[in-house]
Amino acid sequence: MHDFLSLLPLIIITAGAVLLMLLSTFEKTNVETASYISMGFYGVAFFVQLVIGCGPEVTIFDQTFNGMLVANNFSMAAGLVILGCGFFTSVSGHSYFKVNQFCTLEFYSIMMFASCGMILLTLAHELISAFIAIEIMSLAIYILVGYDRQNVKASEAILKYLMLGAFAGAFFTMGTALIFGAAGSTKFMAIAAALNMTGEISPLLLGGSFFILVALLFKVAAFPFHAWVIDVYDGAAAPVTGFMATALKTAAFALFANFLAMNNVMHSGWVTFLFYLAILTMFGGNLVAIGQDNIKRMLAASGIVHSGYLLIALVALNAEQFSGSVIAYYLAAYAVGTLGIFAALSYLSGEGERRADFADFKGLAKVHPYSAAAITVFLLSMAGIPPTAGFMGKFYIITSAFNEGQVTLAVLGVVSSILSMWYYLRLIINMYFHEATDTFEIQGTPLATAGTFALVFCVFAIALYPVVI
Amino acid sequence: MIHDYLILSVILFCLGILGVITRRNVFTVFMSIELMLNAANLAFIVFSRVHESMDGHVLAMMVMAVAAAEAALALAVVILLHKHKGKLDTNVFSLLKG
Repeated sequence: MHDFLSLLPLIIITAGAVLLMLLSTFEKTNVETASYISMGFYGVAFFVQLVIGCGPEVTIFDQTFNGMLVANNFSMAAGLVILGCGFFTSVSGHSYFKVNQFCTLEFYSIMMFASCGMILLTLAHELISAFIAIEIMSLAIYILVGYDRQNVKASEAILKYLMLGAFAGAFFTMGTALIFGAAGSTKFMAIAAALNMTGEISPLLLGGSFFILVALLFKVAAFPFHAWVIDVYDGAAAPVTGFMATALKTAAFALFANFLAMNNVMHSGWVTFLFYLAILTMFGGNLVAIGQDNIKRMLAASGIVHSGYLLIALVALNAEQFSGSVIAYYLAAYAVGTLGIFAALSYLSGEGERRADFADFKGLAKVHPYSAAAITVFLLSMAGIPPTAGFMGKFYIITSAFNEGQVTLAVLGVVSSILSMWYYLRLIINMYFHEATDTFEIQGTPLATAGTFALVFCVFAIALYPVVI
Repeated sequence: MIHDYLILSVILFCLGILGVITRRNVFTVFMSIELMLNAANLAFIVFSRVHESMDGHVLAMMVMAVAAAEAALALAVVILLHKHKGKLDTNVFSLLKG
């Protein structure tokens, strides 16, 4: 019974996606109804996931799925983050598409298909099911990026993303093939058993896992593979960018952590590699972010920096007793901050997203003090200022790095976090210390505004959660 | 004999990477990616033979199905791009510079 319950959120989301796909053939249903339906399905799936809660680690339908899907506390937490992201994206989409009218019903359906792939990805403990889950997720996300077909920028973004994403997918399959050759199976359990037998990574397995790491590093936009992320985030619509930045990263990091944590041999074989990548990702991302004038591009670059912090957590994870709590907590903390800013951008940026630069938001605090305060809370959370979720997330990551003896990484993480203040504070200064030149009329529906303030509440709730428990 | 097939698979994969990196035409790039996926499929079949199981064949089928879905989307994107610019050269698309 618990097997079925663990799959229930996935089933609900898939049912919602299929239902919306069918409804889109009726002329009576409009886009707003679709967004309410998708909010409903996300909400129900979220609560089901929450109520089922955690339990012992279960291999879902061991006989039928042959041990390919495993549900545990980590996959549940990641699933919650993904479903929450989906809910708030539908909320901000509701307002955004009132002003920018290129949305059809299929938008929400495709978004739910993407979430279905993401949840499958958090459960996958087998390389080919992981590959299929990645492709379900990515194919849907590609379409969402290029949804505005009249917009040349969006079309260019989908071209870049699709080309590089398919390239990374090919690396993933080749890696799977090599690992299959070395271990005789693509299941994490069997690969771990093969690794335990030899005690070291054989050349074939080393090549295979390298290819898979390359593909995963691409998906999370880590250092040498980060160039695409800025263009793609810039080209996509604001709610889509928020969804990509949070839910996709959560799913990719869930698989990344599961893959590395399958075995001590695997993890220790890649620690040094990931150590340098974490440093380069943090500082490379900061350098890129400091030079940006566009808010979406700045947020994309700051997403690279946050991937760097999560790589620290991956370096410091303990493969023997892997719980993933640090990673899941940080992902949740990062998700609420980023989603909040994109929800605010959804109703503030106006038609065709004409307010996009730092300079366009000058004096926002004079016109909309509450919205400016909300954005400030999100930015401070991302920068890691104490009473927010971002601070607690960074605190846990740095502590876990200390506990595993990675003092250099911990110190560099703090330095990078101080550097990142530069571009977060720049937006805050623009909002508060300038006279308003724009009227900042809020168009669309009040739903995105409500979502933004709900997310402000979430920032503090997530920060207080570990204190209360 | 088995080794020869494996080497062929690696050569195909490298050709695919080379194609993606050097070619400027969107079509050729997607074809190169398909070549990489099929190189992986060949490797699956070879290893399936090595381990004397049918698992690899099943995995290759899965990859083919996903590759077909990806190709469908890629072709749609090609049409979209052609509508915008009338050209399929990747150099033409340079509005976003990262």
